[in-house]
Amino acid sequence: MSFSNPAAFLWALLAVPVVIFYILKIRMRRIPVSTVMFWEQVYDEKQPRSVWQKLRHVASLLLQLLFLGLLVAAVADPFFDSDVREQRRVVVVLDTSASMQARSEDGNTCLAAAKTQIRRMVRALKPQDEMALIVAGGRPQVVCGLTGHQRTLHVHLDEAASTDGPTRVVEAVELGRRLLTDARNEQIVVISDGRFAGAAELAAEDQVVWSQVGASAANVGITRFQVRRSLLDPITYQILIEVGNFSDESVECSLDLRLGGKLLDVMPLKLGAGEIRADVLEETSVGGGVISAQIQREDELAADNSARAILPQRLKIPVTLVTAGNWFLQRVLEANDVVELTLVDEVPQNLPPGGILVLDQVLPEQIPQGNVFVVQPMAATDLWDVDGALAQPLVDKQDRSSDLMRHIRLDNILMPEARKLTPKVDFTALAESISGDPLYLQIPRTSGDVLVLSVNLDQGDLPLRTAFPIMLTNALSWFAEGKGELIPAVACGDSTDRRLSAGLQQAAAEHNNQLVLTAPDQSQRNIQVLDGHCTIGPLQQTGIWKLTADAGDDHIPNEELSAASAPALRIACNVADPQESDLRMPEAIKARQKLLSAGFGGRPIWFYLVIAAFLLTMIEWLLFQRRWVS
Amino acid sequence: MALFDNDFLTRLEYLSIVSRKVFRGQLMAQRRTKQLGGGIEFADHRQYTPGDDFRYLDWNLYARHDELLLKRFQEEEDLHVYLLLDCSRSMSTGEPPKFDLARQVTAALAYIALADLDRISVYAFANGVLNHFPLTRGKARILSLMQFLESLDADGGATDMAQFAEEFVIRAPRRGLALVLSDLYDPAGYRVGLDVLRHHKYEPHIVQFHHSAEANPKMLGDVELQDVENGDFRKLTVTESHLRSYRDVFQAFLTSVTEYCSAYGIGCTITDTNVTFDQLVLGMMRAAGTK
Repeated sequence: MSFSNPAAFLWALLAVPVVIFYILKIRMRRIPVSTVMFWEQVYDEKQPRSVWQKLRHVASLLLQLLFLGLLVAAVADPFFDSDVREQRRVVVVLDTSASMQARSEDGNTCLAAAKTQIRRMVRALKPQDEMALIVAGGRPQVVCGLTGHQRTLHVHLDEAASTDGPTRVVEAVELGRRLLTDARNEQIVVISDGRFAGAAELAAEDQVVWSQVGASAANVGITRFQVRRSLLDPITYQILIEVGNFSDESVECSLDLRLGGKLLDVMPLKLGAGEIRADVLEETSVGGGVISAQIQREDELAADNSARAILPQRLKIPVTLVTAGNWFLQRVLEANDVVELTLVDEVPQNLPPGGILVLDQVLPEQIPQGNVFVVQPMAATDLWDVDGALAQPLVDKQDRSSDLMRHIRLDNILMPEARKLTPKVDFTALAESISGDPLYLQIPRTSGDVLVLSVNLDQGDLPLRTAFPIMLTNALSWFAEGKGELIPAVACGDSTDRRLSAGLQQAAAEHNNQLVLTAPDQSQRNIQVLDGHCTIGPLQQTGIWKLTADAGDDHIPNEELSAASAPALRIACNVADPQESDLRMPEAIKARQKLLSAGFGGRPIWFYLVIAAFLLTMIEWLLFQRRWVS
Repeated sequence: MALFDNDFLTRLEYLSIVSRKVFRGQLMAQRRTKQLGGGIEFADHRQYTPGDDFRYLDWNLYARHDELLLKRFQEEEDLHVYLLLDCSRSMSTGEPPKFDLARQVTAALAYIALADLDRISVYAFANGVLNHFPLTRGKARILSLMQFLESLDADGGATDMAQFAEEFVIRAPRRGLALVLSDLYDPAGYRVGLDVLRHHKYEPHIVQFHHSAEANPKMLGDVELQDVENGDFRKLTVTESHLRSYRDVFQAFLTSVTEYCSAYGIGCTITDTNVTFDQLVLGMMRAAGTK
């Protein structure tokens, strides 16, 4: 046996004052009495009969010295030499995925049961043992490196919270292997519900000690939830929702859909055992907001009973139409809910920010800066020359890959006439005639793109076809750079790369290229912005995450996406993982090795010395009391 | 505060008045002695012997029966009251000390006796006679008596009642009431001394003093008891059990005193120091009156 702190034996010198005080103590209190004859009668009747009674004062001294000796030995921290030779190093992988939130029959979550097991293991550590803790919810993370300090381990274990993310136990085990260097006396203990692929194989690996927690439970959860604007209608949006019944019985419940807190729809759900049902709903709204879905059913996992998505708001596009009179063009633009149309006769000097200039036959010599859509160019400009007209042009080529030509077919449209254009600058032909002349072309400029439609709308049936309003809608969306079309909801545990709005970019520039990310639980951290983009994640909580310039901007309600005075980016995060929603317990995996167990009661020797010292104080107290009451 | 202050004297006068009105002659004074002598109340006859005074011959009987018989009369004389005050060191214990109460009671009883025209004498004793106030009569002597009592100290050594009684009967040949004011803590036993008094025809009356710490001690644990009378030490480990036994032993002691007095027709008063002298004296007179 050795001692970690041999200098502590100096405390044994305290025995000297103990003995001195004992000697002083046996000088008894002197009490004058009238006579001792009555006391003599009493003690003549009760003579000390046993040797013990005669020696109990000496016994008290010996007990006190022994008490001191035990405490000194405890402070010296003795340990067995075998403990050093057999030092154990353990990495505990704690599954903190969403499925670990499932509650068992006793009301405790799987995570709580896992923590209980780990606490038992921590208490079983011998003085020279070391343990590390890795959490495996979403991104594997070492929350506590190898240490033998039990209180540190307990603190980090208490701080390990459940996430709504997917299981990453396999990656966590790999991370744990990097912490361990020697296979001898080293273990990776995995404590999980086993609800992930490859659990059985992992449990069979050498060096891995498997411990399974939790019980099988029925669950209904939302496994997918996304919202996007319709590609055809500027105010329509589509909701993709997928709900799974992860139980062995059919389930009937309902699902509430809300936009900005207002009820949109209530979907009755009838799901067979194991059925996963996907639906696409269409709703209309110019405004945006947070669309939330909530399953009206209580089950063991609450995180997947709700889901959220961000519906981008349709921003009004200021469109200035310069025309001498084009009824079709005017009506198409007026019919678009997102267009704020202004009719003028002459080309304006300036366009409103984000505005689009539509020139119908009226052309200046130099096309103005900004986004310009030119219809029936009758004259040459700085970007093109006009070489007369094309008679009966037939559309031969059409750029189907371009967003501008989405859902448009021009080859079956009668076009009696078009202008023959010769671009002076680089351009992209979106539609070409058989002769190779561009009928619909895109001219990129640094000061704003230009789209040119050379077809004569007054002749032919293009204005009468559905392709015409779609073409204009595509053009408007393209000019608007597709903003607000889709803000995808992120699955928990994933990261996402987002391009920031101009407002957020400017705010980030003012804050040393950093923005504040506020989690659904209101915790905050800084995010670095690089080239107008930022990578956010992995996101470990379901709900709405907010990216703002200042920490104080997180108070902006989720529903006020664009009306907020401060620029902000919202990201919806959902469980969206059938594997996490499926709480049916796979076949129990047998552990090949037992969990960490302690030798010699699981406590260091000093602990038992202190206990022994405490017992001695009890005995001394008893002896002391017996002198008074026995 | 002086032992005999004005308040004490006031209460003493009140006590004297009460004793005359209510308990007249029942405690000590104005009683006939058991001696026969020259009184006026007929007692009995005895045979004439030569030398007897002819004046006491019963001539009527001689005329009827032709027998010379001498008439005897109950002799009336003053009662002698001896107040025997224990001055051993054990009387100095207690709060207030037993000795103070004993001296106050002595003074009160002496005052009542003097007021009843009896003769009183005070003997201070421990292991013998330490001091004494000679026989005297008349209320005017009460101040001298008080001065005598105030001059006494409870430092007389160990109690030896037998030794004292032997000395006392020699010093005080006239029989009378012997009031013993003591705690009776005599290692050799209090009975021997009282027996000596009884055998010499004194009429003992015992007033036993003790204080609450003696009857019900509180000390616990390791203690060293010092006997104030002889200076002996006794190292003890006192437990609750010992305290219970002590209380039993002490109670048995008091009971033995009561039984002894009852067996020999001796007046007995047992008191602790929590009472005042007038309460105690009134109690004694009431007890005497109920007999």
